[in-house]
Formats: sequence, structure tokens, C-alpha cells
Amino acid sequence: MWSNLTNLIYSAYEQFNYLPLFIEIALAFIFIAIFATLIAYGVILFRRWRGYVDEKRMAFIRPRVEEMITEQVLLNENLEKMQVAEIEFEPAALNDKIYKKEWVRQIIIDILIQYRKNFRGEVGELLRKLYLDMNLTKDSYDKMKSLKWERKIKSVVELTQMDVQISDVTILPLTNSTNPALRAAARNAYIQLSKNEPFKFFDIATEPILPWDQLELFKIITTTKDIAIPNFSRWVSYSTNKSVVSFCLKLIAHYDQQSAIPAVLDLLANKDHYFRADAINCLGKLSAEVAEERLIRIYNTQPLACQLEILKALGRIASGKHLEFLKQEFLYSSNFDIRMNAARSIIKHNTPGSRALIDELKEITHEENRLIISHCQNPLIKY
Amino acid sequence: MDSFFEYLSGFFETTVFLYGTSLLVLYAILAVLSFLNIRLFLKKESYTDYSVIVASPLAPGVSVVAPAFNEGVTIISNVRSLLTLDYPKFEIIIINDGSTDDTLQKLVDEFALIKVDYAYDAKLMSKPVRGIYKSTNDAYAKLIVVDKENGKAKADAVNAGINVCSFPYFLCTDVDCILHEATLQKLIKPIMEDDVNRVIATGATLRLSNSCEVDGGVITKIRAPRPLLARFQEMEYIRAFVLGKMGWSYINAVPNVSGGLGMFDKEIAVRAGGYDAASFGEDMELMMRMNRYTRENKIPSAIRYIPITLCWTEGPTTLKIFMRQRTRWGRGLIQLMVAHRKMMFNSRYGRVGMLIFPYNFFFELLAPLVEFLGILYYLYLIFFGNVNWPYAIILLVFVYTYSVMISTLAVLWDQLTFQYYKTWGDVVRICAMVFIEMLIYHPLIVIFALRGYLFFLTNRKHSWGNMQRQGFKQAQPTKVTTPTT
Repeated sequence: MWSNLTNLIYSAYEQFNYLPLFIEIALAFIFIAIFATLIAYGVILFRRWRGYVDEKRMAFIRPRVEEMITEQVLLNENLEKMQVAEIEFEPAALNDKIYKKEWVRQIIIDILIQYRKNFRGEVGELLRKLYLDMNLTKDSYDKMKSLKWERKIKSVVELTQMDVQISDVTILPLTNSTNPALRAAARNAYIQLSKNEPFKFFDIATEPILPWDQLELFKIITTTKDIAIPNFSRWVSYSTNKSVVSFCLKLIAHYDQQSAIPAVLDLLANKDHYFRADAINCLGKLSAEVAEERLIRIYNTQPLACQLEILKALGRIASGKHLEFLKQEFLYSSNFDIRMNAARSIIKHNTPGSRALIDELKEITHEENRLIISHCQNPLIKY
Repeated sequence: MDSFFEYLSGFFETTVFLYGTSLLVLYAILAVLSFLNIRLFLKKESYTDYSVIVASPLAPGVSVVAPAFNEGVTIISNVRSLLTLDYPKFEIIIINDGSTDDTLQKLVDEFALIKVDYAYDAKLMSKPVRGIYKSTNDAYAKLIVVDKENGKAKADAVNAGINVCSFPYFLCTDVDCILHEATLQKLIKPIMEDDVNRVIATGATLRLSNSCEVDGGVITKIRAPRPLLARFQEMEYIRAFVLGKMGWSYINAVPNVSGGLGMFDKEIAVRAGGYDAASFGEDMELMMRMNRYTRENKIPSAIRYIPITLCWTEGPTTLKIFMRQRTRWGRGLIQLMVAHRKMMFNSRYGRVGMLIFPYNFFFELLAPLVEFLGILYYLYLIFFGNVNWPYAIILLVFVYTYSVMISTLAVLWDQLTFQYYKTWGDVVRICAMVFIEMLIYHPLIVIFALRGYLFFLTNRKHSWGNMQRQGFKQAQPTKVTTPTT
């Protein structure tokens, strides 16, 4: 039997050797394709089975963990009687055998993070204490040692959410990582965890803060309690990282840092016109009346994007000193967007003078411009 | 004479062999690239918190542009579906493209619309706009309806919509498409996280909604299409988006963003001239021109794709409508190749000129022709008894098993991304298509594409036609048991 099979294979191999090359290649690929297809179906089956098992496991363990957290934290009677640091958990509840398993510990961490987002104050602190007492910090720190960047991110996020310190030596280099995702997570963590100098990484940042990352960073900065907000003009003046400057301009506008106006004005000489547009936008939001003259002086030398920002800024500042300028732009510019923004800015003044000007413009201008005014005055049209 | 014919036969066989081998190698490379891209995407998704953008004042505004022509039956639920999008700063622009039914009136009545004095700036060419409507109800403040004369093309309507856009990005979709509520958040992300290139367009996977359950314009149950033709298309979409476009996206060489769902940089789209109403493949044509514009102006740019499904569209279920659609696509492709032929192997256009364009030409445009000629040649060989049948069968099995492998990998990549089908039955239904697609569906595509080429060459008039909507299967109401007294 065995020798028959060997003979068959040997004979097939001999025949194979006499086939033309392209047929040999085709035959080889047929076997590879069949093998790869079978493997692919195997993986599909395995993945779906695994998903099913994971769901079952979650359905089993999640209620148990939630029950434990509810009993130990949310319904803890000692919460009202003593300081959080003095509260002791029931050892039996924490030392359940199942909580030693790595995947269960990860589920506990995930649930604790989720709860921490919903509970602040003493309950939040007690959730943190549970995380520390169950020695889950070790699990989080272990991930930091991983070579995989996504594991590092998970570690950083977990420690940050649980308000566990990460040493500057560990986290600062990560804020300038070449991996954008890791860099963003580390920066978010640094702002939240660093008590003394949360914005220190702005000084060393050579890698950009991407617009997507700015969203979260902005949220953290503007919503984290007890964070010392510095004067962001410092980075506007000295940082060589464009994205840091651009981000600081948004923060300056948000915090209405009037003292930053001179630094922002200096940016008007920058060669990058997107940068100048950002600076003009910031000046407008700061209602920097002092900037008006300069903006009008540079207006004619600017590209369209900056011109539009200047017109918007004049509307936001609304000092009333430059209505004539806006009127001229509205009447004589051939560019539709310029006329639209000039009209909007005049209307935004909302003073007797500006209202009179609008009435006058309606009288003297042509049909399209009258339509622009109606458009801008219509409260149904928001943008 | 005989020797000349032999030479010709030899040349044809060698060329086709090299052509086929290159195509197969290319698919293998794409499979690897798409896997790498999907893996990277999934890693990033595992910790991305989209709730941040939903509440952020820094989120860039997006205009959703959706043209409608004679959609009176479904327009209200379609618009309500679009209004469920979850994003902090967006507007919805519905373009009534000269509908002859009650589409406009229904919109006016349902959303309390009134005609407003709107300063319309016709940056892009389109048929005249008759009026622009806004709602007096604050709940629909995001809605704008543009009423215009029929332009006999989606492109014309979208151009009018772009002229009304207030925001720097616009999302182009069909009004009957069902979008996932997080569509805008997911599509803006690739634009906001690229610091090297200006991302001029992003797209996501499309699927067919034919057998899905829909409630109030929202998909409540995803199912693989039951009609065979629609299921073939679903399989084709999975392969094209998850395997093809994700692979191209990895090397920044996406050839096209689907007309069903795509987010675009408005400034670049306008500067490139917007959609071409005369084109039969207007979405691909726009991408080619946007690419061309950025290259000519030395703007480093990119087109990105994400592997998750954000849009469900109703696919044709009758052969007649399917033929019309594919004939138009075929015609659009050849039209595009002719119009932009100067880009071919032109290094000035970077990857577009050296990779995307040649790929489209050799493996998209020529493929149906090569296949057709191959079949003719085969018939000739059979007729004269010149076929080595054992070898011929081996080669056929080779091509068949290889195509099954590639399609199966596409299904696998799709399953790795997200398990949209909740039942085994749906997975099996899609997998079954892999085995019969080549025998039934593929020949149809080849024939219809050739028909499109023929129409282009003979300059035959093409009617756009109106796709008969089947409507959606409504979600079953939850059973309520009446308490017994």
C-alpha cells in the first residue's frame, strides 16, 4: 500500500518534470491557490467561532465584574463615613480566582475606565483605589514595556484614565515619537498627569500636532480641572513647530488671552499665508481693535484666504472705524466671496451707523449685491 | 502567409500570457497591501474616541450634497435619514434636479420650507437654479433645498449643490443611499491626520441595501442580498473596496472615489472645475482632474480609503437596469482615458501618471477586450483542432482557483474588519458567489463593458434611465403580548 503510494507520487513527479514550464507554474499555483483558499475559510470559521466564544465569555464575566464593582464601590457604605484612602475592600471579593486571569483583568480595567468617565468625586477616587488595590497598575505598566505601539498606547490611556503617574523619563520621549498615534496619546497623558508643567512638551515638540490630535488635546486642556493655563503667546513667539503655533492660536482665542495680541500681530509678517490667515482669525476672535489699522494696511498685499479673514476680523472687532473700507470692498470688489464677507461684517457691527450704511448700500448698489445683503440679513441662513 | 499567421499567433499568446501573469501578480500585491492597510486601520480604530470630534468646536464643517430626481416616494425618509448624521458642524443640501413628480412639494410641506433670497455664486457650471429653500423650523436649520432645471446628469446637480456649500469639505452621496450616522466623523479623520499630504478625497466601503431591514431611514439589520444579481454585486463591491481600494490607498494611489459616498476638498474640486456633466463616469473623471490639478500645482495630495461600510445603496436587481449601469460605466471609462490620455506614463503626474492611469488603461479598460479576443482565438483553435486539451484545462483551472482565492481573501479581509453579517447563512451566501461569479457574473460584466465601448465609438445616445426602487424591508415591530386579565 505504502510503496504503491510512493510509486504514484514518484511517477507524478517524473511526469511533472517533463511538462512545459508554464504548465508547471500553473500547477504549482493551483495547489497554492487551493491551499490559501482553504486557509482563508479556516480563518473565517475560526474568527467567527472566536467572536462567538468571546461574546459568551463577556456575557458571563461582565455581570460578575460589574456586580463586584457595584458592591465594593458604588454601594460601599463607608463612602460617606470615612476618607477614600481609609476604605478597605473585602479581600474575598477581590481575590476571586477568576480575577487572576489576564483577560479578566483586562475586562476589569476596561469597565473601571468606563465607570471613571461617568463617576467623579469620591466614587471616582474609590474606583481608582480598586484599580490600585487589585494591582492592575502592574498590568498597565507591563503593556508599556511592549514593543508594539498599540500596546503602549493602551498602557498610557489606562494609566491616564486612572490618574496614575508616569515618570517624565518614560512619557516625555513618547510625546515626540515618530508614530503619530503614540505621540498623540502620550501628549494627552502628559497634559493630564503633569502637575507642574503640563505644557512642557510644547517646548520640545519637533513632530507636528495633527489637526485630529488637536481635537482631543483641546478638549483635555479646556476641560481638565486644576490645570494651570499658561500664556500661550510664549510658543507663538518662540516655537519653530508650526502646528504648535497654530494650536496655540486656537487656545489664545478660546481663553481670550488679550496679552497675546502683540505676539499674534508679529505673525502677520510670516511667509506662510495659511499661518497668517490663522493669526488674523485669532485677532478677530480676540476683538483686537489695535490690530485693525495693520490689517487694513496689509490687506491689498494678501492672498484671498487672508483677505477674507481680514474682512471677517473687522466684523468681529466691529469698532466702526472701518465701515468705509468695508463699503468700498462691498461695492467695488469683483470677487463674490469678498463682497459676501464685507456685507456680513458690516451687518455684524449692528450699530445705527452700520444699519444706515446697509440701507444706503441697498439703494445705490446693483441687483446681485442687494441679494447678497438680503442673504446675509436672513436669520434662516446660518452660514 | 502561414508563417506570418503563426508569428501573429505566437505574439498574441505571449502577450496574453504576460498580461494575465501581470494581472495576477498585481492582485496578489494588492491583497498584501490591503491586508497591511486594514491591520493598521484596525489598530488605530481600537483606541480612537470619535466622541471627541462630535463635541469639538475645532471640527471642520462639512456640507452633505445629495441630488434627487423624481424621488417623491422616498424623499422624506431619505432626508430624515441624512438628518440623523452625528457631527457638530454640517449642512444638508438636497438638489431637486427638475423632478417632474412631487419631490419638491413634499419637501416643502414636510420640512416647512420657504423660498429665500439666496446669493448664489455659480462657481461651477450647471443648469439654472430656480430657487433655494430653507426651513422655518429650527429643527431643520441644517437643511437647504436647491431647486434647479433638470441637467440630465447627476454631475450637473452636484455642481449646483457645491455652489451652495458653505464648508471647506463636501460629502457627495445619492439621496437614496443610507449613511451610517458616524459617516462624517469617520471620513473626516483621514483628512485631519495627514501632515504630509493634503487629503483631497476620502471614501469608504459601499454595500447593497437590497435585503437589509430599514427603519426610519436607518439600517436595523444588515443582510446579504437575496436576489442573485445583487449578491454578485455585493461580492464585487467587497473585493473592489476592501481588497482593491484599501490596497491602493496604502501606497497613495487610489484611482477613484465612488459616487455613492465620498468626501472631497471643496477648494480643490472647484479649482479643478467640478463635475463634468458630459461624462459618463463623472466620479472617476472628477478624481482624475483633482489629481491632475494638484500635480500640476505641485500640491502634495492623497486620496484615502477606509475599510468600514458607511453607505448602503440599492443595487439593480434586473438584468436590464444592470446592463444600463455597466454600459454607462464602460463608456465613462473609455471617455476618461481618451480625455486624459496625456497623463499616461507622464512622470509629471507622479503616481497618477505612472501607476493609476496605466493601471486603469491596461487592466480596467483593456481587460474586457483582451478577454473577448482570447475567447475568439480559443474558438478558432478549437475549430481547427489546435487545442492541447490537458494543458488548456490545467490553465483554466489555474485561473479559476486563483480568482477564487483572491475573492475569498477579500471576504476574509472584510470579516477581519467587521463582521457585518450576523448569521452564518449570510456568510455562506456571499462565499458561494466566489465560486460561481466567474462563470455567470463575470461574462456579463465583460459584455456590458464592451457594449459601453461600442456606444462610445459609435457616439450613440445614452439615456440615463431611472432606476426602479424596490424599497426597503421594514424592521418588524417588536411583538407585544397583551396582558390577560
